[in-house]
Amino acid sequence: MLILTRRPGERVVIGEDVLVTVMEVSGQTVRLGIAAPEGLPIYREEIWLAVKEENRAAAAAADELAGTPDSSQAGSALPVPAESESSGAPATSSEPDGSAQPQAGSATPPALETD
Amino acid sequence: MSDTVIESSRFGTLQIAPEDLLEFPLGLIGLGGLHYTLLDRNPGTGFLWLHSVEDPGLALPVVDPRRFFHNFALQIAAEDRERIGAEDIDAASMYVTVRAAPNPADVVVNLRAPIIVWERRGHQVLNTAPGAGLQARLFAAPDTA
Repeated sequence: MLILTRRPGERVVIGEDVLVTVMEVSGQTVRLGIAAPEGLPIYREEIWLAVKEENRAAAAAADELAGTPDSSQAGSALPVPAESESSGAPATSSEPDGSAQPQAGSATPPALETD
Repeated sequence: MSDTVIESSRFGTLQIAPEDLLEFPLGLIGLGGLHYTLLDRNPGTGFLWLHSVEDPGLALPVVDPRRFFHNFALQIAAEDRERIGAEDIDAASMYVTVRAAPNPADVVVNLRAPIIVWERRGHQVLNTAPGAGLQARLFAAPDTA
């Protein structure tokens, strides 16, 4: 790993297109400005790792549930959500933390209602 | 342009028409892949499969979050919005990955990183809306009252 010492306002150039500027250093926190070509995604590492893990877990969990590679059976083990399609169906209220909640009528497969 | 054939490890031989091919210029986060297709193997359930064209063993179950979460909200970076190219983001197709589990109560979806498809190009983006969790439960807990 290349290790460089930089001061606020100084920059690091990566390749021809990526410019990293040290904006501010305050205690344990460093603010960086990153100029990169359009289309080059930039993520905080912990978020990138978490999404990557979810993507891989989604693919792996589907393997476990779908069983043998039989096209007629594939996916049949997936749970079937019970949906409320009526446009006037009230949404469930948000949790105190603001997290999105399954809509009213969403239930476990044995309780599936098809109306 | 002829159909693309995928020897899917899960679904067997698939013939994908050109209009059903989706380009993912940046791939899925951590999984890559430049081309995917959406399979509706369970009509009426709301579950689709996002199947890789390059990797015959890679398929992820996905759902449209707007169909299951009435209070789903999307906040994405201006760069992502520009990359997607849709004037009205609500008009685009939107999916979230499903992490299946033997117990339906444990089935979760990733509202934090939805996959937006517009004009046959897909992008997985970060959703910074409050409450858009990485592991949001898809099914409400059974009513025990």
